[in-house]
Amino acid sequence: MITLDKETISYKDKIVLDKISLSIKQGEKVALLGKSGSGKSTLLKRLYELNPQISSYIPQELGLVNSLSVFHNIYIAKLDEYSTFYNIRNLIKPVQKEIDIIHPILEELYIPELIFKKIGELSGGQKQRTAIGRAILQGNPILLADEPISALDEVVTKKVLSSITSKFVTIVCALHNVDVALEYYDRVIGIKDGQIVLDKLCAQITTADTQHLYHVCDDKF
Amino acid sequence: MTSSKNLNVSLIFGFVFIIAFFNADFSISTLDPLGEIKNFFMGIAQIELSKVPIYFDAIINTIRIAMVAILVSAILGFILAMYFHHRFMRVCLAFVRSIHELFWALLFLQIFGLNTMTALLAIILPYSATLGKVYAEILEEYDLFPKELCASRISRISSFLYIKLPDALPHLLSYTLYRFECALKSTAILGFIGLSTLGYYLQGSFMQGYYGEVWLLLIIFYIIIATIKFWFNKYLAPFLLFLSLFTLDDFSGFNMNNFIRFITEDIVPSPIRKNENMIEVYIWFKNIFVDEIIPGIFNTIVLTQVSLVVTGVLALFLFPLISNHFVNKHSKWFGNILLVIFRSTPEYILAYLFLQIWGPSMFPAVIALALHNGSIIGFIMGQQADELKLRPDSTPRRIERYSFEVLPRIYGSFLAFLFYRWEVIMRESAILGILGIATLGFYIDSAIADIRLDKVVILLFFTALLNILVDTISRKVRAYLRINNTVKSSCDLV
Repeated sequence: MITLDKETISYKDKIVLDKISLSIKQGEKVALLGKSGSGKSTLLKRLYELNPQISSYIPQELGLVNSLSVFHNIYIAKLDEYSTFYNIRNLIKPVQKEIDIIHPILEELYIPELIFKKIGELSGGQKQRTAIGRAILQGNPILLADEPISALDEVVTKKVLSSITSKFVTIVCALHNVDVALEYYDRVIGIKDGQIVLDKLCAQITTADTQHLYHVCDDKF
Repeated sequence: MTSSKNLNVSLIFGFVFIIAFFNADFSISTLDPLGEIKNFFMGIAQIELSKVPIYFDAIINTIRIAMVAILVSAILGFILAMYFHHRFMRVCLAFVRSIHELFWALLFLQIFGLNTMTALLAIILPYSATLGKVYAEILEEYDLFPKELCASRISRISSFLYIKLPDALPHLLSYTLYRFECALKSTAILGFIGLSTLGYYLQGSFMQGYYGEVWLLLIIFYIIIATIKFWFNKYLAPFLLFLSLFTLDDFSGFNMNNFIRFITEDIVPSPIRKNENMIEVYIWFKNIFVDEIIPGIFNTIVLTQVSLVVTGVLALFLFPLISNHFVNKHSKWFGNILLVIFRSTPEYILAYLFLQIWGPSMFPAVIALALHNGSIIGFIMGQQADELKLRPDSTPRRIERYSFEVLPRIYGSFLAFLFYRWEVIMRESAILGILGIATLGFYIDSAIADIRLDKVVILLFFTALLNILVDTISRKVRAYLRINNTVKSSCDLV
């Protein structure tokens, strides 16, 4: 279980999170909804800091190394499990055993052919899927992801989301697409100006709530 | 706001320039300077290609020393970069860096004698300090990987190799290659103090007025520099490095006793060595300070400030020569050739040439420093000007276009380039003293001639201090002007 009790975070004079209280049970799949600058990213980062040992985290900027291949970027998740010598060997020439582990992950994300392409040559959506692959390889029960699918098209989004759902026990994922959130998650949390304005199970969401969420996520307001 | 700051800074440096100008010695002491210039250019007609084999050993030796020196410097620089976050390390590197390779060579000459070891160490010391600093800055700039994702259990080597190094590597390599070009120039220059590189023959031919040979040597030098990318590429470089490592010779003359004597006797202030009291030490220091350090520093500053402003003005005149906004394709080609020649000729060689023509005064030194540095800055400015996209309806009249459209847009970066170059100009101003201008190098050279190494060390200390001071002011000025040049554009100016 992840809990926050009246958490306030501010940068300089600006309050980013304003007395947020929250608890997420094991097994819940939660979507965080809100427009950019609402405090979603700060909240996710904070949740990660609370349980870094059992969480996989995908920041919005993804944290990929541009000059390395997709394979090596995903392998980074396991650097701490192997000796330095083995890591160097795998950097110079990818070890078949590791390829056999990483290839199926990429198949699920529909990019197996990109395994030895460098990140710098990929599109935005392909990069996002590499970051998701890294989180999957880490094998932690909790996923904390910050808009990990914003650059994917509709078909791929569905496949990738169901793949993520099956790999992690608990998920907290920032999104800005209300429809995707309601379709794939158990619970939605709407955030505006650092405060929670809506927190409900998807099953209990009313039409008025949906309208409210559209409003919360719309950058025009 | 920023433009008024630019103006303030320009005015202050202009004012300092005027004061310095009236304190500078610009006399022309040769009897027939015009005749000497004529002789120099007539020398082109006297080039004898049959003499190339004479220089063959010197060419090979210059390249070998530069290659081994850059290899060792890169390795040392890489290790030093890992510890650059320690304040003590930064201060040490700043100190080593601020002493010119020729001064290091003069010092090592006393310990190792005239041999390859002296040449190697003279390059390796300041170069590894510079590389250490720049490597650290480059690695810092590419360090974009989110800290949260670096699990603390990852070994430092693994995380460095996977996360930090890959994105920075191309930039590290290209900077090292640029430094290799610098090392070739520096190694060639070391010949001027007697080491067996190209400069040795260059000086000999200069002194005897054999300008045909001077031209031939300069052309050989330009060819070596211009063809680096053909022979120092990833296929040949390892092979050539290997070959150089095993064929470098002439390490004779090293004597451990020399070294011990240098450390324990030569550099100890003479009154202490003679067991005299502290008053004698004080008088010894006071005499050096009043008679040599103060006038040396004064003249070095005068030469630096005059050269800095002349460099700037020259760069402002030169950059249109290579910019599409001002010249057509053919003129641009000529402009490029002109700038490449002055950029590739080390200021020391230019100064040596001009001193032959005009005699020892600050005049030839200023011209040499301004031509070399003005071409470097003009070249980068020209490239920047070409990146500007002017409105299609902007004025076709060149002077208006220059003063209303182009210059205002790049003046800020122009000042930044100039201030990056300030420290280099100061280091060179000090070294040109060896050629007879009364800057710090003059006193250092004289002290070495008198074999008073204790004095040499004191003078070098103050030379380094002056450089670090200028570097600090330069950084403050850049911060005041808020010029956020990234390492990418500033690297080639250090």
